[in-house]
Amino acid sequence: MSWLGRLFARKRQELDLDKELRFHFETQVADKLRSGIPESEARRLTRLEFGGMEQIKEDCRESRGTMWAESLAQDIRDGARQLRKSPGFSLIAIVSLTLGIGANTAIFTLLNAIMLRPLPVQNPGELVLFGDGKAHGSTLGVPDGSTRLFSDAFFHDFRQQDTLFSGIAAVDSSQFATKASIAGAAYQTTNIDLVSGSYFSVLGVPAFLGRTIEESDAGSDGSGPVAVASYSWFQRHFNGDPSALGKVIRIQSHDYTLVGVARPGFFGITVGQSTDLWIPLSMEKAFARPGANAIGQKLFQSLHLIGRLKPGVTTTQASAETNLLFKQILRGYLGPKPPQKHLDDLAHASIELTPGGRGISPLSFAFSLPLEILMAIVALVLVIACANIANMLLARGVARTREVAVRIALGASRRRIVFQLLTESAVLASIGAFAGVALAWEASGMLLRLATPGPRPVPLDLTPDLRVLGFTLGVTAITTILFGILPAFRAADLEFTPALKEGRGTSSASTRGVMARSLIVGQVALSVLLLVVAALFVRSLIHLSDVNAGFDKHNVLIFFLDSSTANLPHGPDEIRSVRLQEQIDSSVQNIPGVKSDSFAFFTFNGGAWSDQVLFQGVPRTPQNGDEVFFNIVDNGFFTTMGISLAAGRTFTAQDQQNSPKVAVINETMARRFFPNTSPIGHRFSIGEAPEHAGEIEVIGVVKDAKVLALDEGSQMAAYFPCTQSPGFFDNFAVRYVPGANKQEIISRVRHSIAEANPNILVNSISSLDEQVDRSVATQSLIAQLSSFFGILAVFLSCIGIYGLLSYSVARRTSELGIRLALGAQSRTLLWMILRESVILLAVGLAIGIPVALSSTRILKSLLFQLSPLDPAAIAIAICAVASMTVAAAWLPARRATRINPVQALRSE
Amino acid sequence: MKTESRFDLPQGTLDLLIMRIVALGPIHGYAIAQRIQQMSREALQVQQGSLYPALHRLEYKKLLAAKWQPSETGREAKFYDLTAKGRAHLKAETENWERLTDVVDLILKGTLEGIG
Repeated sequence: MSWLGRLFARKRQELDLDKELRFHFETQVADKLRSGIPESEARRLTRLEFGGMEQIKEDCRESRGTMWAESLAQDIRDGARQLRKSPGFSLIAIVSLTLGIGANTAIFTLLNAIMLRPLPVQNPGELVLFGDGKAHGSTLGVPDGSTRLFSDAFFHDFRQQDTLFSGIAAVDSSQFATKASIAGAAYQTTNIDLVSGSYFSVLGVPAFLGRTIEESDAGSDGSGPVAVASYSWFQRHFNGDPSALGKVIRIQSHDYTLVGVARPGFFGITVGQSTDLWIPLSMEKAFARPGANAIGQKLFQSLHLIGRLKPGVTTTQASAETNLLFKQILRGYLGPKPPQKHLDDLAHASIELTPGGRGISPLSFAFSLPLEILMAIVALVLVIACANIANMLLARGVARTREVAVRIALGASRRRIVFQLLTESAVLASIGAFAGVALAWEASGMLLRLATPGPRPVPLDLTPDLRVLGFTLGVTAITTILFGILPAFRAADLEFTPALKEGRGTSSASTRGVMARSLIVGQVALSVLLLVVAALFVRSLIHLSDVNAGFDKHNVLIFFLDSSTANLPHGPDEIRSVRLQEQIDSSVQNIPGVKSDSFAFFTFNGGAWSDQVLFQGVPRTPQNGDEVFFNIVDNGFFTTMGISLAAGRTFTAQDQQNSPKVAVINETMARRFFPNTSPIGHRFSIGEAPEHAGEIEVIGVVKDAKVLALDEGSQMAAYFPCTQSPGFFDNFAVRYVPGANKQEIISRVRHSIAEANPNILVNSISSLDEQVDRSVATQSLIAQLSSFFGILAVFLSCIGIYGLLSYSVARRTSELGIRLALGAQSRTLLWMILRESVILLAVGLAIGIPVALSSTRILKSLLFQLSPLDPAAIAIAICAVASMTVAAAWLPARRATRINPVQALRSE
Repeated sequence: MKTESRFDLPQGTLDLLIMRIVALGPIHGYAIAQRIQQMSREALQVQQGSLYPALHRLEYKKLLAAKWQPSETGREAKFYDLTAKGRAHLKAETENWERLTDVVDLILKGTLEGIG
């Protein structure tokens, strides 16, 4: 029965009880009337015989066993009163529980949203993803390992032959953030997913309005110019107005008809992205992107595939069939006489089927280990907080010995007392939990923004769901037991006669002391562990920010442009885009305060294009077989980025579309291919089996610069001039003179761009230092959070030590007074008190350090150029814990030496 | 109320008496009290304060079942009846009681050689 049902049942029971007793009463009166007693007298006598009606009812209730409900309510009221009686204790306890439970809930909320929550689709358990989802973009090579991206041709051929899937859906692995205009209104950034006709039916996502994309939409190339909107986009733009259906949406340069709205809550299959519009894959060619002309090719692999298994089919069965078909189909694509290398590659290729019910979560690849470590850290902080509260409750339990003894003497059972004290703890924990959930709601969103900085927040649903609430409830219950059970049993388990006689419990003080001391040793051990972890993360972050990035991050602005609505020419006329860039370049050059500027395919941490290269006359070695990171830049790039030239020259106006193809390479690439000679003048080409061998000549060597992250190792890199790989490149970097007026420069650059082509939009403006900071956002967040929680842990332990020593000084006031009166030096007394805390500290460290040494290994992959046994980090942690502990002990110890002997003796 | 006619029932005896009365057929609380008084030839007077908690305890333990039906005066009253579990319990407790009184009798009325 629910508690509500029980409540109603109880109400009914009360009415029945009343009716039953009233019947008895009236019958008794009636009997008396029959024997000739007048009515008023009969009633009086019956009332007398009955005694207390309320007492009878109470006894009946008790014998029915409903008393627990009333006594629980009483206990909760008593608990709340006790908390109000000692506001200092309550405040410390509630604040530490709020922080502890709040931090646990906040981290768990993120963990849940990123790693645990299933997609809002039908039977997510039946979905399997082809590959692990750890790639997006496109590739043209023959697969040679665990395959993650698939071609449109493979998708169609596989669907015709497989037997174990009830359906397979395809979605382009890149979400397009592009510009769309509704019925001729202004262009707005819109996130678009290209999906197969089976997408909605396989996932089991119905239309909220209209229809979803169907097989008939995704026929031949260019057929099916229709779009399905997400519910939130539909609400944002149409406020739920159904007349939206049939409206024309212009995306880039094509028109689409809005045919439906997907079910509310459905955001696509990628966690951390939210799709605004879905468009059939048949419209793929309408999207401008690198390699877009290759769509028809059977090895243009850019899709994620997600399949629904037929009922009863296991992943193992499906995996066997899938891999067999995969090899057969791909072998067919290689033609009758493929090169041996392609056959070898294919022999190594495979598809790993992974559970698809949670979708693809790129955030989880980056954040799962940090989140798990943070989860462990906050759990330990909560344990320390519990130890503290348990200690305070133990101390209070001693003070309440008399109260408990009186209640036992008056007939309360031990069970009843333990129950009441536990209820008090539960009241405390519940208040902490409520405040903690409120805190977590705010904090989890804030943590997400700190971990993933950028112009737009990551769309992730962080509202607490049942799993989060269940987690918090569980944590609260465990917390209550952790800090409540020991003091409760301790309090109820005393011999009450001596306690009554003495008034204040001294008999139990010594066992309490052992417990209190063990708790403090545990706290010190955990604090030192947490501080070692924090110190490791902080030192790793310092190493990371000291890395020589190879470029000068100061005084550079980066403009992220969007040219998709500008209708720029493709194909042979593409060089006109380069001319447009040159026009903007020279106009920006003339802005006062600007030193240099450059368009680039990529700037730091902004993505990459990579492949192997082959130099003429240089044999393949393990060193030069790695992928090379390519960038396409214009002439001012190296000056703008502050990447210095080591040999040869950089690009000039002479390097034109039809002049010999040239490249600038970095020192690592030069060294790997030409360990002993200069690479200048040597020729290479891109790819393992290139068509035009040696078409690109090396004209210069530059110093290494980081490409994707500060913690990456030495990478090979090559730069090509825009003129020889024409296109409009959306990153525009501007270096300005230190101290120049940035706002002025920004508005004039905007003006220059608009002048060149008003349809090129500025999506966002950042600076190179911001890009660098953003690239280490996760590391710096972990360092900050682990330091915060480490310091919080030490602080909580200090409160514990302070409390313990204050209590022991207060109890020994008369002893200390006598010692002082007999001539003890205050230094001796100081040491006498401090000694206790020093011993606790030493034991705590002796336990905590070995634990730290054996457990920090799991952090290894998160530390940059730092051993998990870094002596400096360990020393910092020990010093911090030791000095804070001694400081906490110093205050009460000092109080002991200031005791006035006369007063101390009098107070006895 | 004649105090001399009342004596303390040993713990649990009231439950036994109530079950015995109820075993005769569905009956409400007031009638149970009356019946005990009559059958004990006025020696036992069950107080409401003992009767009703006992009835509720037995009902809670599912030894008695209760339902509301019109009494002889036409007013609705709560009638108690023995459940199957209650019947078994009554049988066992009655045998227990008889054994106990026999044993107590033996000791109270018997003599021991040597004491005489």
